[in-house]
Amino acid sequence: MSILTVEQISKSFGACQAVNHVSFDINHGDIVGFLGKNGAGKTTLMRIVTSFLTASAGRVFIDGDDITKHSLTIRKKIGYLPETPPLYTNMTVFQYLKFAAEIKEVSSKRLNLQIAKVLEECNLTHVKQKIITTLSKGYKQRVGIAQAIVHEPKLLILDEPTSGLDPMQIQQVLALINDQREQRTVLLSTHTLTEIEKIAQRILIIKSGQLIVNKPLKTLLNDNVEKGIINTNNKSITEALNPPPLPLSLEQVFINAHQAQLPAQNSRAEV
Amino acid sequence: MSKVAITKVIALIKKELDSSFSSPIAYMVLIASLSLFNILFFMIIDQNKEVSLRDIFQVMEFMFVFIIPLLTMKLFAEEKSNGTMEFLLTAPLTPSMIVLGKYLSMLIFYSLLIASTGVYYFIVEYYGNPDVLSILSGYVGIWLEGAFFIAIGLLTSSWTKNQIIAAMASYFILFLLYFSITFTKYFTGFTENFLIQLSTRTHLENFALGIITPSDIVYYVAGILLCLVLTKLSINHKLWQ
Repeated sequence: MSILTVEQISKSFGACQAVNHVSFDINHGDIVGFLGKNGAGKTTLMRIVTSFLTASAGRVFIDGDDITKHSLTIRKKIGYLPETPPLYTNMTVFQYLKFAAEIKEVSSKRLNLQIAKVLEECNLTHVKQKIITTLSKGYKQRVGIAQAIVHEPKLLILDEPTSGLDPMQIQQVLALINDQREQRTVLLSTHTLTEIEKIAQRILIIKSGQLIVNKPLKTLLNDNVEKGIINTNNKSITEALNPPPLPLSLEQVFINAHQAQLPAQNSRAEV
Repeated sequence: MSKVAITKVIALIKKELDSSFSSPIAYMVLIASLSLFNILFFMIIDQNKEVSLRDIFQVMEFMFVFIIPLLTMKLFAEEKSNGTMEFLLTAPLTPSMIVLGKYLSMLIFYSLLIASTGVYYFIVEYYGNPDVLSILSGYVGIWLEGAFFIAIGLLTSSWTKNQIIAAMASYFILFLLYFSITFTKYFTGFTENFLIQLSTRTHLENFALGIITPSDIVYYVAGILLCLVLTKLSINHKLWQ
């Protein structure tokens, strides 16, 4: 059963058609990569799905409910991280997560337990009493993800969660997203296929507001390697499709991140 | 309002108050305002030699025209410029909850400021027998007036992500309301009466004299409600798309 159904969504801002008749489904438990250049319509579509923006036409269903009719109920089922993490930088990590949990209807009985769980999951326990403004960009991004999952949403929507991070931070954030696979469905946007090919099962590609690709990652890579669109840089497709497990140690993270950067120049899929 | 909704509004109020008191600005405004009020209080008492707070209420009103926009300018403008408005509007909160949370937090801050001047009553009582009811009605008036000014500041803050523009827009509206009575000499009939009724000074004067009339209460309550509804519409961005 699909957790997210997007039906013929269009959105225009004046004369600019940001999203044009986009339709797709996402199944429970999938991690779906949403690719497109800047201005392709990714953020607009994500904002429509989170009910931050209203579509000019079309409908969105989350867990079977129309978002325009049950927007408050639906927002409890969504965790959302905008492109710029929405942080109150004068708060400590704990204060911020407590506030997020309270407004997202985590019951007072479960509140502390839930925050502790999320801190652990996002590896933030040791910085929970730190003021957010003092944290590095990678930590801030993890705090952003922590607020998005603090209420245990069914659907996690992440808008360019790796934007502006260094290779090591990217690996850490991707590992954190990968860990969500068991618990919830994830839709994450990015510019580059190489970043999400390790974790995504399905790829959506949007160009000038239109969905041009909606395929499982394996099919997409096979098709495009055959057509010569994607250069695997002399790696076998199997190797390309089955990357090594995500690193655990800092040393491994660094080595893997460094290696990942080199072929990325050639295997980057332009969309 | 349901228990869940109240919990969310309380969380928003706590967050706003924490934010206010975690920066030195709140303390500076409190200390500067109280110092100014104290100096003016003693000057008025020394000059008038009467056991009344009527004049200090009018001075406070004038001061609040300048102080309140400084307190309210960040309420929504800061959320917009930091990108946290998207966080609030995609959380399970209604625009009414957000508006109420922010408004009540600032009202609590303002009430603390007003309550701190309660000591003036005991000072004038030491020197004579003040009219308790007129002092109480004066406090009701100045509290209602501040509540109205805060609602105006909240509204202008929802229009922009720039705090300076939000403050300037507040000053424009508050000056218009405060000084409208001074333009009555140029008009007659309906316009003159309209300008008198529009002015906050007309309505506070009654309270300061110990006169509480339904029209004065309606003026403030209607003004507050109008601003809160307009703020709700303003942050309900869908209307502006």
